Amino acid sequence: MNFTLSLSGADLLLLLPEIFLTIWICMLLVVDAVPSRVSKRVIGKLSIAGLSATLVALFWFYINGKTGTLFNGMYVLDPMAIYFKIFIVASTILVVSMSIESVERFPAFRGEYYFLVLMSALGAMLMASANDLVSIFVTLEFTTFGFYILVAYLREDPKSNEAGLKFFILGAFTAGILAFGISLIYGATGKLILTDIAQVMGEPSVALIAGFLLLFAALGFKIGAVPLHAWIPDVYHGAPTPVTAFLSVAPKGAALAIMLRVFFVTLAGFTAEWIWLLVLVAIVSMTYGNIVAIAQSNMKRLLAYSGIAQIGNVVIGLAAASKMGGESIMFYLWAYLFANLGAFAVVIAVAHVINSEEIEDYSGLNRRSPFLAFAMLLFLLSLAGVPPLAGFIAKLYIFMAAMKAGLITLVVIGLVNVVISMYYYLIVVKKMYINEPTDPSPVTVSPTMTATISVAMAGTLILGIWPKPFLDWTVSATQIFSHLNIVTTTQSLTLPFGG
Amino acid sequence: MIDIWLVPMILFAPVVGAVALLFISNQQRFLVQMIAAGSSFVSFILSFYLLYAYDHTIGGYQFVQRFVWSENLGISFAVGVDGIAVPLVLASSILLFTGTFISWHIKDRLKEFYISLLILAAATIGVYVSLDLFFLYFFYELSVLPMYLLLGMWGSHTKSYNEMKDTQKRDFVGFILNFTSNSKEYAAMKLVLFLSAGAVVALLGILLIYVGSGLNTFDIPTLAAHAEFSGTMATIIWLLIFFGFASIAPLWPLHSWSPVGHAAAPAATSMLHAGVLMKLGHFSIIRVGYEILPETTQVLMPIAAVLCVFSIIYGGWVAYSQNDTKYVIGYSSSSHMGYVFLGMAALTYVSLTGAVLYMFAHAMATGLLFALAGWVYDQTHTRDIPSLGGLSRKMPFATGCFVVAVAASFGLPGTVSFIGELMILIGSWNKYPVQTIIAVLAIVVTLAYLLRMLRGVFFWEPGKELPYDAELKWAHVQDTNGFVNRMPLLVMIACTIYFGIFPGQFIDVIGSSVEPLLAKIHGGADVGGIP
Repeated sequence: MNFTLSLSGADLLLLLPEIFLTIWICMLLVVDAVPSRVSKRVIGKLSIAGLSATLVALFWFYINGKTGTLFNGMYVLDPMAIYFKIFIVASTILVVSMSIESVERFPAFRGEYYFLVLMSALGAMLMASANDLVSIFVTLEFTTFGFYILVAYLREDPKSNEAGLKFFILGAFTAGILAFGISLIYGATGKLILTDIAQVMGEPSVALIAGFLLLFAALGFKIGAVPLHAWIPDVYHGAPTPVTAFLSVAPKGAALAIMLRVFFVTLAGFTAEWIWLLVLVAIVSMTYGNIVAIAQSNMKRLLAYSGIAQIGNVVIGLAAASKMGGESIMFYLWAYLFANLGAFAVVIAVAHVINSEEIEDYSGLNRRSPFLAFAMLLFLLSLAGVPPLAGFIAKLYIFMAAMKAGLITLVVIGLVNVVISMYYYLIVVKKMYINEPTDPSPVTVSPTMTATISVAMAGTLILGIWPKPFLDWTVSATQIFSHLNIVTTTQSLTLPFGG
Repeated sequence: MIDIWLVPMILFAPVVGAVALLFISNQQRFLVQMIAAGSSFVSFILSFYLLYAYDHTIGGYQFVQRFVWSENLGISFAVGVDGIAVPLVLASSILLFTGTFISWHIKDRLKEFYISLLILAAATIGVYVSLDLFFLYFFYELSVLPMYLLLGMWGSHTKSYNEMKDTQKRDFVGFILNFTSNSKEYAAMKLVLFLSAGAVVALLGILLIYVGSGLNTFDIPTLAAHAEFSGTMATIIWLLIFFGFASIAPLWPLHSWSPVGHAAAPAATSMLHAGVLMKLGHFSIIRVGYEILPETTQVLMPIAAVLCVFSIIYGGWVAYSQNDTKYVIGYSSSSHMGYVFLGMAALTYVSLTGAVLYMFAHAMATGLLFALAGWVYDQTHTRDIPSLGGLSRKMPFATGCFVVAVAASFGLPGTVSFIGELMILIGSWNKYPVQTIIAVLAIVVTLAYLLRMLRGVFFWEPGKELPYDAELKWAHVQDTNGFVNRMPLLVMIACTIYFGIFPGQFIDVIGSSVEPLLAKIHGGADVGGIP
């Protein structure tokens, strides 16, 4: 293979956000290391500044329609990659701003905390552009590497250590699975680039099927879909809450970008073969996540299981195997970002005062802090899919996509799960609004946390009431899937018992 | 100018009020009350204007406003009213306005109460005025959640629940094994889960309509004109729509959440719940089922004709044996909703017009009953009929209102319920004589339990001299007094009697939309409409 690497200035421009962020991260490390009296808060604010500049650059790409491929097709910058990069950077900004308080308060957190968060974000951004098997492997490990340290960050806390160890062992194992899967696919096709593989694949051989199954397993581990979900509750519970929040959104988004490329581009010709797998994963994830969430007494574990169920919903969109399915997933991610990060921000704000994450201790939160209770109400209801919040539109969009693809059974199970999930979200609402507090002292919220939570609330409401700009954006960002368009008519819509 | 924005203003006035309340402290009680009253008053006045501004010589959808929400998905925010929606919008805004005053004296978290109430009312109005399936469902779902907070935060437990002393057992029994001992939390959760389950069933039907029609639109007029469904598909969609929405109506056997919810809810919430929330079911069945699947409606509506008999008899029978005033009214509502289903099932001009009119009438009558039951509960702290009695001496005004409410509820001539009931019975006679006879006989049952309640609460057993030493027992009890407490009662009484004597405008307005609808269902055959 002739491998020449030529980089022009124009090519470098496509990497501008990543290059800028890398320089900025190094600078942060230096600023932190210089033994002057730079407080950790300043470093947090500098991180937000750097991320905001990256966001501006990405929006500039989006508005000007900058696209291109680099390194012989290993790295693509298409509208979808830009979409996911903006998603990742936005979620990182929220995570950093909700971390500032915790980092200042607990001595275990040091300035490098921001360095690690931003490194993981950088890795996730690269994942969104990964277009061949090697870059998938490298970027995925790059992202996870930061998390290994972040999850175990509270050295004094045995739960955090346990979570870190679990995550590391399972993560390393997954890396092995991924590498094995890649080697099988490469062995069977001799190609690495996702679009090339699609062209040379004839009848799928056993090696190829096994390779893609292993690839799917590794990615399923990252998004936490059943049956690869087992790490989620313990790691979410043990990790510092801002890290949990970050873990629940950014890497999942990036892994979904890869999944979209693998399933909708590389395996576009074999939809009939893999749909059943995704249907199964979606059903089991939703049902398992929702039913087990009912029994939880810890807020972080509740959100962990609800996250598993939410991923089940996302997989419905994948199973739809259509452009609309891709759109609905990408819209869903924004709704999930605001609601999930917002809910974790409330958990952090409450934990700062009452030092507990038990649902029982949320009793009477409405009397102790009307703002936090109302925010939590909005976030949980958005996750449950209640109008006029983002989650409602997102769920409906996914169901519409699945319905158009004829997956009626899946939609029915999804709808049943919506009702089940309503129950445990409302149990929390009951605690906050109906029960009386045992300790009626007010819960005060710092200005940074108020700002973070307000942004998440605004996002949840705006996406629910006026989602048109986002809907249009998803439509334009999923142009690469237009070959998957399914035209549904009454005839192609068959009912399970004949219609 | 006002005509263009009329419907959005009715819909969004309560929303604006609720948003404004978010930024006001609970300490400023008077300001909170004024904002709630003011925003509901706007809806109230404009709804009356709507009734008289609706041109029944033209019919169809009027005051239509359309904003594209997403071309890609075929969703637009389209609002407008037809003759069937007008009385229900009016009922919603009357009950919102009166409910605001009924709740004037709530002590705990008044601001949050009004926010929930205003959102609830706006959501119900939203369903009535939506001309887009997506937004119909949007507002339908939106109406469920405020109910949870209203019941849970300001509701009340049943007597038997309160009497259980063992808290451990209480929480267990009250939440899982409840038969008579309901906690308000149980009632609230049951209501939300029932209504959500109904909603997702209906949503499945809506999604099948959206995808199956192939028109890529949620617009109801477009779907009604162009969507064609046949065979199994049409049957399945119709059944999903019917049973999904019938759970809120509540049709027997999907009714069990409703009396429990009524009993737990604060007065104003019960009023809106029984008055307009339950009618969302009937209305949505007409708007979605009748409009989009007319042929299937004709084939399958006999299901409702059968089930409605159970609703009527079962509701009345259970109401008679209840001791809790709110349970009596709650089951009576279930029973009365059976009449509406009978009127809808007969599919004649007279019966369907009567059914819609009866929905309005029932909203007024039940609103009154719940308002007064709430007042009695506030004063005596009990809803138990055997422990009440003899209140008429202490509260003559409330007693008078209650007598009117009872009369309105069973349909005394001169009240609007009489017109509605009569039209349902006359219109259904030819098609369902058996059901009609049962329904007529059930009026006697209605009278029996209402009079039993009237006697048990305000009067006393005949042949006895003022038992229960009422003078002493009710020494602290007060009659409804002052503008705030009496005005809402008088408004509802006025509406009941005024429209009972002059129902012409209503019947014209409703009829102008019922006639073309029935013509479509019967495939152009003469429906006996009044020209």
